[in-house]
Amino acid sequence: MSLEGKRILIAKPGLDGHDVGAKVIALALRDAGADVIYTGLRKSPDYIARVAVDEDVDAVGLSMLSGSHNEIVSETLLQLKELDASDIKIFVGGTIPKDDHAGLIAAGVSGIYTSDMAITDVLKEIELELRNA
Amino acid sequence: MSGGKLNNRRRMSQALSRVANASVVETLKNQKELPEETLYRIGITGAPGSGKSTIISNLVSKRVDNGSRAAVVAIDPSSPLTKGSILGDRIRMDTVSNNPNVFIRSIPSRRSHDGLADNTADLLWEMEGYEFDEVILETVGVGQAEYSVRALVDTVILVLLPESGDAVQAMKSGILEMADIYVINKSDLPGAELIAAEINEIVSRNTYSSDEWKPCVLSTSNKTLESFNLLNNAINEHREWRMKSIDKASEQRSRVRYQVQSLMNRRVEELLEIMPLKEFDGHPKEVYEKLMKKLLIK
Ligand SMILES: Nc1nc2c(ncn2[C@@H]2O[C@H](COP(=O)(O)OP(=O)(O)OP(=O)(O)O)[C@@H](O)[C@H]2O)c(=O)[nH]1
Ligand SMILES: [Mg+2]
Repeated sequence: MSLEGKRILIAKPGLDGHDVGAKVIALALRDAGADVIYTGLRKSPDYIARVAVDEDVDAVGLSMLSGSHNEIVSETLLQLKELDASDIKIFVGGTIPKDDHAGLIAAGVSGIYTSDMAITDVLKEIELELRNA
Repeated sequence: MSGGKLNNRRRMSQALSRVANASVVETLKNQKELPEETLYRIGITGAPGSGKSTIISNLVSKRVDNGSRAAVVAIDPSSPLTKGSILGDRIRMDTVSNNPNVFIRSIPSRRSHDGLADNTADLLWEMEGYEFDEVILETVGVGQAEYSVRALVDTVILVLLPESGDAVQAMKSGILEMADIYVINKSDLPGAELIAAEINEIVSRNTYSSDEWKPCVLSTSNKTLESFNLLNNAINEHREWRMKSIDKASEQRSRVRYQVQSLMNRRVEELLEIMPLKEFDGHPKEVYEKLMKKLLIK
């Protein structure tokens, strides 16, 4: 299995300034064959959705540690919808409490990957998710 | 922007992907009529990390100041092993990446080794129909002389660094003969004036007749944003010079030539990739013949 030919945007919304996790996942995706675009720190959902459309990505990975993930995710999904791009998948990574998972999935998130997961498992799930796309 | 316009943006974006991802056969099938006029194209090349993306960001923010629209195509290298890539040029384009009049598309080089990407010529061609005023192309960071960008754009800017040492390196690689504008970037660092003077001297050793373009040498730094005004002016001057001096037919010829050559190179690579290993058992002459036969099959 490989992510060859898939375009993935790794985005870092929210106010925290730690993007080591985002960079590690970006490199892992690259090593799995994906073309990875990284937004840099502290981007708004509006900006992230616009870049996702302009770069025509298959998926957006939102890396979040700051705790405001519910708002950020629903805003990003809304913005994508406004841009006629609801088919672009959203993955969420970082520190996401178990209690919030069901709500995020119901809102339209395609996968949640918490910091305690092995990166090979994360890649496997993303590959499966994008293969069915 | 209205909803309709935004939907158009998505459609354009998807159309560009289709062109970028097309195989050689698909590309040839989908090519339109040659355009009579093409958008003005600026190409920026130079060593990895020399500041190409940063320059584009500063430059484009000036160029769209008057409400015009610019498309940026930025190429980063694909890993030859995993085929994946980190497309990191956009991160350096913060001053314009938020501007709705600027469209940035990052693409991986894929099979190309000439500083451009698969289907770059066709991708630029596809950009014609979307109300852009100009296109800016950033090549992969190249160490050695890479001339391919010359064939596809109107104005070539070569970015050099103060720490490129003495200009001999640049002379050896031949890059001092291909650009229209030479930029010594990071001129806030020591050594910039020296190298600017050296490059200037080398460029000026040639004599230029009054109808020829005399390449100019400039210094820029993201610490002094005014330095990009000079670059912007130089680009406009070159553009004006082109309008009255360039031989359109011969330029079109070199574009078509490049396009055909890169399609052919890639077709060969596509075929080699799917050739069963045992077909390489044999004399190079025989394998070559086999490949030639495959090339002729439609
Ligand atoms: N000191 C100084 N640093 C600069 C200047 N311009 C760019 N840089 C820095 O140089 C580094 C590389 O800049 P980029 O714009 O990414 O260079 P590039 O040529 O596009 O790089 P590649 O696309 O990877 O080949 C970044 O850390 C920039 O912040 C400058 O004028 N002065
Ligand atoms: Mg760059």
